[in-house]
Amino acid sequence: MLAVLFGNPARSFYANEVIALAQSGTGAVQRELAALTEAGLLIFNKQGNQKHYQANAAAPVFDELRGLVLKTMGMADVLRVALAPLAAQIEGAFIYGSVAKQQDTARSDIDVMIVSASLAYADVFGALESATHRLDRKVNPTLYTPADIARRIAGDNAFLTRVMKQPKIWLMGNEETLHVRSA
Amino acid sequence: MSEALDNLCGPGKQLQAEATDAQEFAGLVRSGMARLNDARNTSLALESRFDLAYNAAHSLSLAALRRLGYRASNRYIVFQVLPHTLGLGPEVWRVLDKCHNMRNRGEYEGLLDVDERLVADLIVATQAVGEALPA
Repeated sequence: MLAVLFGNPARSFYANEVIALAQSGTGAVQRELAALTEAGLLIFNKQGNQKHYQANAAAPVFDELRGLVLKTMGMADVLRVALAPLAAQIEGAFIYGSVAKQQDTARSDIDVMIVSASLAYADVFGALESATHRLDRKVNPTLYTPADIARRIAGDNAFLTRVMKQPKIWLMGNEETLHVRSA
Repeated sequence: MSEALDNLCGPGKQLQAEATDAQEFAGLVRSGMARLNDARNTSLALESRFDLAYNAAHSLSLAALRRLGYRASNRYIVFQVLPHTLGLGPEVWRVLDKCHNMRNRGEYEGLLDVDERLVADLIVATQAVGEALPA
């Protein structure tokens, strides 16, 4: 439930939507929504006869909760699961861009960098399609081979240099494995 | 006719109804296949091969739409409706959609960062569109 609301803080959800997306019981979700609203973590408003809930960006712990959700149970997990069948061919994968920088809106693409010597875009898009629907966001993968990465770093490629300096949410591998292998 | 396509069709929407024209269809397929062929020419610059393959993909995807009696109001929609025009999956249309966005960044922001991988995959996806089109 937190993943649904804090994973998409720019939009509001009506109770039935949260229940469906969180795959949880009606009573439990309703009680939690009420408690979190009471605690100031959610904003509640009524649109017609629909009760809408949205993550409260003004809550003092908003950034921490959102960070927690993104790192633990939000889109990172969904993407990791989607890419799992290809894991043997992936040297490293991470989210970058507005999501990793926590500057995304409900309509921002999720930018994902995937390092693989053998995968093609067709494989990656095929695997990510389920995640695209589950997250209701467009996933924009960029696929580089370890050699591409090394060459771009050596050539001071503007895009990659910027990406490497930005915050990342690692899906597979980490900074060290990527650097060791690309060196 | 496809319900999904009909829903996208109307005044101010992404598709307009327009009767199929056999000559136009043949012309789009012919120019698409010619450019796809040239995109395989490795003596050309990678950027040129990308342009040729991208434009081939656009011609062939538009042909698929025109064949069913629709015209597109913008470029990107021809790729997004490939599941409905030719029954193609994300492994084809998402690749073309990505290339469309890269093409725009190249044309309008001077940021065309294509590599062998992308051009090879664009050619495979475009070939799939060509093969899915009825002759």
